[in-house]
Amino acid sequence: MVITIASGKGGTGKTTVAANLAHTVAHKNAGTTWLVDCDVEAPNAALFLNPDLVEKKTVERQLPVIHQDKCTACGECVRACEYNALAVAGGKVLFFKELCHACGSCALVCPQGAITEKAEQVGMLEQGSSGDLRFAQGTLEVGFSSPTPVIRALKKWVVPEKNTNTFILDASPGASCPVVETLRGSDFALFVTEPTPFGLHDLKVVVELNKKEFKLPAGIVINKSGKNDRLIEDFAAEQELPVLMRVPLSRHLAEAYSSGILLVDVEPALKEEFLGLFAGIQDCINKGTV
Amino acid sequence: MKIAISLEEDKGLDSPASSVFGRCPFFMLIDADSKKYEIHENPARQATGGAGIQAAQWVLDQGAEIVISGNLGPKAFSVLSAGQIGAYQHTGGIAEAVLQAFQDDVLTCLLAPNVDAHSGTA
Repeated sequence: MVITIASGKGGTGKTTVAANLAHTVAHKNAGTTWLVDCDVEAPNAALFLNPDLVEKKTVERQLPVIHQDKCTACGECVRACEYNALAVAGGKVLFFKELCHACGSCALVCPQGAITEKAEQVGMLEQGSSGDLRFAQGTLEVGFSSPTPVIRALKKWVVPEKNTNTFILDASPGASCPVVETLRGSDFALFVTEPTPFGLHDLKVVVELNKKEFKLPAGIVINKSGKNDRLIEDFAAEQELPVLMRVPLSRHLAEAYSSGILLVDVEPALKEEFLGLFAGIQDCINKGTV
Repeated sequence: MKIAISLEEDKGLDSPASSVFGRCPFFMLIDADSKKYEIHENPARQATGGAGIQAAQWVLDQGAEIVISGNLGPKAFSVLSAGQIGAYQHTGGIAEAVLQAFQDDVLTCLLAPNVDAHSGTA
């Protein structure tokens, strides 16, 4: 079972929910539970779980090398590049690495064979354990703009196509490529939101993304829950999405979070709530597949 | 001598010059001597990334020898300088006045980019 936790808006509590859910479920679950931090631009779930990251693996991509001695500055590579990573000026091809998506088109179209490819490290994958929980994360190298290859490599490394274990994937904020890459192949989308206009706005975007691209069974967690929950509840009802859990707005919990402490460690009563959330997710998946 | 000026709008010689380069809506290509000009939509305006590079490549491909814009980022600047295009900074006003200022030699010649990457995206 693969559960992806997304939110649209950043700072709603994706990682908080992911880390607490994974930690709680790992103690109770019969199979192995994994938390996979797919927010490769800023992975931070490890701060709450302190896993020993003993296994490491690099992620490489093939970037073009232009051999100016063979290049005739015809501009075919520039026209082939969808990402404006190449320009031809003054009889030379200029390459802007930070815009390159390593698609290989430039090397393919060069009529002179003047472009070859060279592997370059774009990310690092790590895995290990935190108590009963298995943990993995990816980190994009500073200076690269495309996180999706790192997410893809991370998922390929730890998430088998068919499995009996539980994988909880912590997605990045937003609703663009990295979130799409994380949701791909999941069984359930859990949207963590907060009862604010911004929380609602970005929740709508990511709910829409799921409806259009994946149609995964989905549910909502309202974090920082309080007197404005109606904002989210009305939208959830309209979309027929269950609100599976609420985490109250509390100074006590915020202080634990800011010290890198799991909520369930300062508020043990929340363990039952996270187990309830997990049961709710399983129910939704079972209903969704009937 | 063909000059490219970044524009906010397409209003002929009265078009307001644009402060941004890569994502300006229009470019004027004007012959400095005959004052004959064309206005083109900037093909890089909606680029998902690398708008400065694409715009600079387009200007180069049009055979311009001089570019006048409010700002010029590092990537656009490196393409223009590799193409040996002179870059000048205007301080606002309509295209005709900007061209006059260039001809009167009162515009600043940019010897380096004058803004950071992505300054024109907001």
